Amino acid sequence: MSNEAAPGDPGHRTATSPLAFALALAALVALATTGIWAATGSGYFWPGWVMLGCAAVVAPLAWWSHLSGRPNTPRTRVWWHLDITATLTVALLLIWVLSGAQGPWVFWPIFSLVLLLGLHALVDLRAEVPQLRARQLQERVDTLSRTRRQAVDAQAAELRRIERDLHDGAQARLVALAMQLGRAEVSLAHEPEAAALVRAAREEATVAIQELRDLARGIAPPVLADRGLVAAAASLADRGHATLTVTNTNGGRRLPPAVENAAYFLLAEALTNAAKHAPGAAVRAELALEPDRLVVDVVDDGQGGADPNGSGLQGLRARVEALDGRLTLTSPAGGPTHLHAELPCE
Amino acid sequence: MRVVIAEDHALLREGLVALLNGVGIEVVATADTGPGLLDIVTEHAPDLAIIDVRLPPDFSDEGIRAAIAARAVHPELATLILSQYVEPVYTAELLDSPGGGIGYLLKERVSDVTEFVDALRRVASGGTALDREVVTELVRSRSATGGQLDALTPRERETLALMAEGRTNAGIAKVMVVTLGAVEKHISNIFTKLDLPDTDDDHRRVLAVLTYLRTTT
Repeated sequence: MSNEAAPGDPGHRTATSPLAFALALAALVALATTGIWAATGSGYFWPGWVMLGCAAVVAPLAWWSHLSGRPNTPRTRVWWHLDITATLTVALLLIWVLSGAQGPWVFWPIFSLVLLLGLHALVDLRAEVPQLRARQLQERVDTLSRTRRQAVDAQAAELRRIERDLHDGAQARLVALAMQLGRAEVSLAHEPEAAALVRAAREEATVAIQELRDLARGIAPPVLADRGLVAAAASLADRGHATLTVTNTNGGRRLPPAVENAAYFLLAEALTNAAKHAPGAAVRAELALEPDRLVVDVVDDGQGGADPNGSGLQGLRARVEALDGRLTLTSPAGGPTHLHAELPCE
Repeated sequence: MRVVIAEDHALLREGLVALLNGVGIEVVATADTGPGLLDIVTEHAPDLAIIDVRLPPDFSDEGIRAAIAARAVHPELATLILSQYVEPVYTAELLDSPGGGIGYLLKERVSDVTEFVDALRRVASGGTALDREVVTELVRSRSATGGQLDALTPRERETLALMAEGRTNAGIAKVMVVTLGAVEKHISNIFTKLDLPDTDDDHRRVLAVLTYLRTTT
């Protein structure tokens, strides 16, 4: 089955040139015969028959240029049928008019042709309806996947922007405030009561800074935003006593923020769980940066029996699934516990 | 003491300059980019550089890279990193870079003027000042995963954390509200349990502790 020729395809255009030629020739012949007819006394309009002859040649050419190269689908077959029906109907009407419009006989052949076309369309196109629906659904799924991915990426980028704004805005101002209060406290050394008030205010500002920092860290740890997943994963593995293997650094290319965030929190949660439930066990973390996806594996040699429906894991699964990824946990009694995730990243 | 500052946030930079001038520390130059730091260090040969981690043009870890670059050219340069967050990776990189004293403090520590100036002087004289958050992070992750730190009592662990911050024995005694003798006993127990060589040098002591924290499994 060949590809459907879109209008404006080169193949389509070359098919129209014989048609244009034939149309021009037919117009010329029609004009010449009408001229001769007018010059010879304008009797019975015989040039009509010549035009009918020309039309019989031009019409198949017109179908051909309309439909050649299209795949043999029900829709194309119905188009062929429609073209032929239209041509025959016009021819019949012309013959009827040229022969003096005697009686309604022309109605019956036209009626039969249209009936046949209707039956054909009904039978042939009905088979196409489920296909059409499937195609529409596929397009809908594609659109939804694309827009969801864009939404997730936009959200991750926006969160990082917020983190940066917090850092450069509110946090920096609070630090400046605390610094001023610190200086005020020093200069109030001779007035202990006032100094104590200022000290309390300074400590309050410090707590606010701490809270903002915890908030920012929950969005994405700075080392992830600054240096990317491999560096952040190395930091995590180092702190969690895991051995980290990165099988392909992808030429140092950064992954989309949403993928980096998901993979980071996945590793962090898995390493925390391993430390909590399998203390002292050997933990291996693996990152494989393939061209179209990131594969994360965390395996510990603990006693297994991890709950696949724990709240931490549910949160991770939601994160992974929002990226069209997959997350599986196998943790038979006696171990090992293996967390496996695949994150697509076009 | 002659100090240079690399900080892009004007409010903080000017606040720091005012604070240091107020306690008699001379700020000889300031920069607001990573590359700018190297220029002023080369020009003024300061005793100490105070550096923000996030600097233009990248606003990521420019400050760390600038510090390491400056220390490569001027090995005697004492370096104090100020940051709004704790990142053990950055601390480890700094500790690995050869040179003078090293500090890594959260920015709000600046507000406690006495402690901050104390930390500045410690770093400028070749010592170490690590934020207690850095130390806590390292100690917690180490002890959470088992290992030799399990052998330490809570008091010894607290002592180790304070040691790693760069405090003297007297400083530790003050914070823990115990006698100097009790601190010395804790420390000698820690060295025994962790199999670390004893030394009088604060900086080497912290480095030994951190080397242990970073490399042990």
